[in-house]
Amino acid sequence: MESLFDQSSLFLQQLVNGITLGGVYALIAVGYTMVYGVIQLINFAHGEIYMLGAFLAYTMVTVLGLPFFAAFALTLLICAVLGVLLDLIAYRPLRNAPRLAALITAIGMSIFLQNLALMIWGSQIKSYPVEALPPVFSRAALTFGDVSLSWLQVFILSVTVIFMIILHLVIHKTRIGTAMRAVSQDKTTSALMGIGVNRVISFTFAIGSAMGGMAGILVGLYYNAIFPTMGYIAGIKAFAAAVLGGIGSVPGAMLGGGVLGIAEVIGAGYISSEYRDGISYAVMIAVILFKPSGLIGRQIGEKV
Amino acid sequence: MNPILHVKDLSKSFGGLVALQSVDLRAETAQIVGLIGPNGAGKTTLFNCLTGLTPPTQGQIEFRGNPIVPQFSERRIRLLKASTLLFFILGWIWAPLFYSLFLPRTFFKVELVLLGIFILGMRCLMVRALVEFKIWAWSLMFVFLLSDLITGLWAVIHWGASIAFVGTGFPFGYVALPWAIVAVPFSLFFMGLLLSRRVRLLYGFRLSPDALCRMGMGRTFQNIRLFFNLSVLDNVKIGFHGRLKSGFWQTLIRGRSQRQEEEAAEQAALDALRFVGLEHRTFDLASALAYGEQRRLEIARALVARPHLLLLDEPAAGMNPQESARLMDLIFKIRKMGTTVLIIEHDMKVMMNLADNIFVLDYGEMIAQGSPDEIRDNSRVIEAYLGGGPSTC
Amino acid sequence: MYRLKEMKTSQAIIIGMILLALLLPWLPFGSSSNYILRVLTTAVLYMILALGLNIVPGFTGLLDLGYVGFYGIGAYTSGLLAIHYDLSLWIILPLAALNGALWGILLGAPTLRLTGDYFAIVTFGFSELVVLVLRNELWLTRGPMGLPGISPPSIFGHPLTRDWEFFYLILFLLAVVFVVVRRMEDSRLGRAWFAIREDEIAAQCCGVNLIRYKVTAFAISASIGAMGGAFYAKWFKFIHPDMFKFWESILILCLIVFGGMGSIWGTMLGALILIPLTEILRAVLPQSLFSARYLIYGLILVLMMRWRPEGLIPFESAQAEKAKQTQKRLAALVGKE
Repeated sequence: MESLFDQSSLFLQQLVNGITLGGVYALIAVGYTMVYGVIQLINFAHGEIYMLGAFLAYTMVTVLGLPFFAAFALTLLICAVLGVLLDLIAYRPLRNAPRLAALITAIGMSIFLQNLALMIWGSQIKSYPVEALPPVFSRAALTFGDVSLSWLQVFILSVTVIFMIILHLVIHKTRIGTAMRAVSQDKTTSALMGIGVNRVISFTFAIGSAMGGMAGILVGLYYNAIFPTMGYIAGIKAFAAAVLGGIGSVPGAMLGGGVLGIAEVIGAGYISSEYRDGISYAVMIAVILFKPSGLIGRQIGEKV
Repeated sequence: MNPILHVKDLSKSFGGLVALQSVDLRAETAQIVGLIGPNGAGKTTLFNCLTGLTPPTQGQIEFRGNPIVPQFSERRIRLLKASTLLFFILGWIWAPLFYSLFLPRTFFKVELVLLGIFILGMRCLMVRALVEFKIWAWSLMFVFLLSDLITGLWAVIHWGASIAFVGTGFPFGYVALPWAIVAVPFSLFFMGLLLSRRVRLLYGFRLSPDALCRMGMGRTFQNIRLFFNLSVLDNVKIGFHGRLKSGFWQTLIRGRSQRQEEEAAEQAALDALRFVGLEHRTFDLASALAYGEQRRLEIARALVARPHLLLLDEPAAGMNPQESARLMDLIFKIRKMGTTVLIIEHDMKVMMNLADNIFVLDYGEMIAQGSPDEIRDNSRVIEAYLGGGPSTC
Repeated sequence: MYRLKEMKTSQAIIIGMILLALLLPWLPFGSSSNYILRVLTTAVLYMILALGLNIVPGFTGLLDLGYVGFYGIGAYTSGLLAIHYDLSLWIILPLAALNGALWGILLGAPTLRLTGDYFAIVTFGFSELVVLVLRNELWLTRGPMGLPGISPPSIFGHPLTRDWEFFYLILFLLAVVFVVVRRMEDSRLGRAWFAIREDEIAAQCCGVNLIRYKVTAFAISASIGAMGGAFYAKWFKFIHPDMFKFWESILILCLIVFGGMGSIWGTMLGALILIPLTEILRAVLPQSLFSARYLIYGLILVLMMRWRPEGLIPFESAQAEKAKQTQKRLAALVGKE
């Protein structure tokens, strides 16, 4: 029964990797899902915020020589500001324009930011210098037989879970969270009730972008690779996760991210590693076709 | 005489909110039927149900003698439910076999078993959806059965038919192959079911708004919905869409029939515009029109296809007295053409002069019906709608 | 005879442009450098592609991010048919268009019932899947090695090799596509598309079957894209999966947004301005900066949406122009009677 054991441990190892990856997708997906929930816009540029997060942290660690955790915190802050600026510059003027216009703007911003990064940092793949990172990251934290969990994975998972819990509490327990939920129901009525709609939208962008930037750092650490086009693929996968879970729902994004991460890793292992990215596209298309409301989402209809 | 529109026991609820509750309504040919009620009484919801934009929860609508809402026959539903369940039982027996739970340990793989359990779970979920007549579940069923077929064949080819179940010596191929063969007609059966109109109607597919429009139902909207960036003429021509036939190839070749159709559409559109008195604005963009003109353009667009039934949703809203007087003339003219008009209106003066028959909705319930005079004196209407008393109208 | 009169103004422009285009290779600056001719051929190719894409976001109002998938399908159809069966261009072009339309229907029929955003994202996923398949199915497409050695097209046994020959060929294709799109636009089909673009619910209540007309639009758009791809493969004689990445879709989208979504002249103008501009950038900028040229396209998209969402030649003014022409035509008709 030796072979049987090998097989299952390989599988379990991949399950662990998949969950880690899924956590990161969930972090990005939250940004998509919250923005969509509040202003019904697919913020294509969110993937670029994620990429910028990875690059900003990289620059702070290498050029400015900041300690890793300081860079981490600072990046979250800058990304939040970037998200707010993005909304302010690109989307706010189009709030009452047709949806097509906002969607095209989002794509335009995404392309713009990506190529800006390409101009600034070049197209070579970069990685965080090992000496700048806490040395504990590369060590294995837990080992069961052949299945091992590195401290980096533990870090990623715990950060994801902690921030998700915080987010959940913010949305459901605070004033601004209540305002967010109100705005996502009906902007006009919320404005009449004295909610500063634009402030709420800015807040949503800030949180979503901070999460996205954090995901960028985590993925940069995990794959040890940062490059300007990373945002475009990860962005679309995260969107797939958001759709899978049910767009507009934060727990849905977590669930979707987890499922997608596992599906991707296992699919790459057992079906074909070339089609690794294809798996998430296929999952996304299938979900949109068969159950557009996602696993735990509500139906979206147009008013007559 | 058969009514042109007959609504029987129609109900509609959004989640828990009841918008319409067993509404009955009749409209005879060439009648002007009024529909009144306070805001939020469900008038527009009723219109949307009639034009096929929102599916009613319950009840029946007959338009020119044809039912337009899916009718569930109890027996057929039972039959379908039974066959669904049968499938699932068969599928459940099959799935573990297929995912090698009972096969010798050489074939045992953790992930295969997990996959099997996952698929089982999906199928469990599907049962509920199937019973609720969800169309996606049926298409998924098709996919599952087809995958059963492919994997079954694959298993037999790669593992050979000689592999036996644990402890029994019963060859795997004896089960896998027949099921694979049976799965083909079954999956085709489900696909065919989906394609047939009857089952689509049964499974909650209703007649779509465009089909209803082609059957002779035209409508206007409470907040004007014109094609604002198109010319007035084109707006009305689009209203004639259902009367034309030319498709892609005819358009490409631009043969004689297509050109004749285009000319007919143009003529009809010009006539309709003259009818509503907009001929002087024919070549302007719809967005350039004044409010009252836009209202009339919407009516022209609905009228150009010569509907049997015209639904007007608050046509006089926001109009000054002259404009609404003109509108009333127009509606009388429409009735003279033999078209039935069902009209929602807040302006009581307009309504009392116009309607042959008035229905009153309040909180989704039809509380009264009758001639304008009867309605004027109906105490329940006064209480619910007019509030202050008869003097307000 | 009113048709003649109706045509007069627009036809004069068309004839003028055709003459100019036909004479171009023989003009001094045209013949002196084949480079200019090649740039113009590219521009005309993109005019065709823009006309094709315009049908979906411009006429029907749905954002299609997967257009380049059909372009790639067309190019590979053409390349593979040319390599394995050595077919003539005149057989390849309709086959590629058919193949494009087939995939358009397969993708469109289930997805076009979705809301606009979901449709955009599904088409995006589709185009990415096309690139993945092209890259990984080595037995069919040779994957990242690309498809070299596609035979040049030939007309009456005369193989086309010179630049001006390709230029005339693409001009001819543009003329065909232009006529097709014009006919579609000014017909029951086109009006149904415009109605969907303007207001789906009102369109439905006017008897327009949404799914059917959206799928038709998508299929026609896809087949025009595939035709462009087929020409491209025959012209460039080498195709590679990376030529059909998402960026191309953005570029083409940028052309129509810049020129004016929904107006035929606008989309053509957009391609005619932006594509040569790209080539100028290629000549002026260093290689490293040129690779970031999409920055400009992104910026164009954002700025256009902010300050002039209707583009250089807006849809409305195209419609107003059309109405004016109809008015003239009808007046002439009445005058004759």
